[in-house]
Amino acid sequence: MSKEPVSNGFAITTHSLTRRFGRKLALDSVSAHVPTGSIYGLMGPNGAGKTTFVRCLLNLLDPTAGSATVLGYDVVRDSVAVRRRIGHVAALQSLWEWMSVGDLADFMAGCYPRWNSDAVAAVLEPVGIEWEDKIQALSRGQRTLACLAVAIGHEPEVLLLDEALTGLDPISRREVLRNVIDVMHAGNRTVLIAGQDIADMERICDQVGFLVKGKLLWESTLEELKARVKRLRIEHPEAPPPEIPSDAFNVERAARQTEFTVRDFTPDRVTALAAPGRRVEVMDRSLEDIFIDLAGPQLRVAADLEAPR
Amino acid sequence: MLNSINPKSAIPIYVQIMEQIRRHVASGVLAPGDRLPSVRELAVQLLINPNTAARVYRDLERDGLLETRRGLGTFIAAGAAALAVSERRRIVQESVERLIDEARALGVSDETLLEFVQDALARQPEGRSSR
Repeated sequence: MSKEPVSNGFAITTHSLTRRFGRKLALDSVSAHVPTGSIYGLMGPNGAGKTTFVRCLLNLLDPTAGSATVLGYDVVRDSVAVRRRIGHVAALQSLWEWMSVGDLADFMAGCYPRWNSDAVAAVLEPVGIEWEDKIQALSRGQRTLACLAVAIGHEPEVLLLDEALTGLDPISRREVLRNVIDVMHAGNRTVLIAGQDIADMERICDQVGFLVKGKLLWESTLEELKARVKRLRIEHPEAPPPEIPSDAFNVERAARQTEFTVRDFTPDRVTALAAPGRRVEVMDRSLEDIFIDLAGPQLRVAADLEAPR
Repeated sequence: MLNSINPKSAIPIYVQIMEQIRRHVASGVLAPGDRLPSVRELAVQLLINPNTAARVYRDLERDGLLETRRGLGTFIAAGAAALAVSERRRIVQESVERLIDEARALGVSDETLLEFVQDALARQPEGRSSR
């Protein structure tokens, strides 16, 4: 194997990563940066390209153009090195139904040079999953937890959760998140959560990326996102309405009140809108609000284009 | 005890938790020598990023509110009692500033606002709280 590569503080980087399926661009020149030691929430509506992104990192799909590295290893050229350092849990992962949980763990253990059986047991035991349990007999939440257990047996430095929280009951969800916290706490690990479980992501992620129609529309810390994306409400009971800035989106106009969202808020914005008889209010946005503000217009435009004539 | 965070707020979660610990120290709910949950326990309890929990303890330790004893855990520092007095002032001052902002935004004069406050104080003699 080649010598340890340099990853410059990023566990995952992609450079103009592009993947085409026939005429459809599933990933459109995505340049993402996932800092080492972070929990990164990759959000996006259905069909945005989140799973394609994850599958490219695992080299289950070849990029059409561009490249990606995990811990400095190129995902195509050094795919074996990448797979040894990465754990992966997908929604409704196809498992060998006839196997027991123990069989599955043994099988996975055989794929890696080292294996920590205690780490696997530490996920299974608290939720009452036994080694002898047949996979086909597990509930949906238990299956996800079994997948998570065997995905961390080789002590991966990077964990990818692809829609792993989607549709889980609250107790299973909590267990998955508890295990993510334990994985993070164990060392300088990195977790990428792809999905739309915005409420969970808002709690646990420190980095966020918005993927819409194959494009990465935003990437920053969660803190920066919330500091920069603000909704401005201008009440103008006795004054003419303000001019709408060209970069405003999700604009709502009423007789005596105007509202819009900006993606690079600074206090100057308020000064620029101030006038006698006008009151400017800066409103914070939740991650869900921001998701709708940023992704909504793109989706509506796309829907118009695709509508039958 | 530390369980009311609002992830939807634009106030970062670590600031919310720090604020909560500061309030508990100011009100005496947390006293010097009290042990706090470990970083992992706090992260699991609130389902937050362990880095966030670690940051809370690091920052409060820097401010002298907490102290970490090697192998034993994180505790409210002995000097926190002295800080409690200034914390109480700070918390109330912040509320007063918010009240002033709100009143001015609604066009209420400073004079009227002062009357409101005096009336409210008169209706609620000291030692009695409406909440």
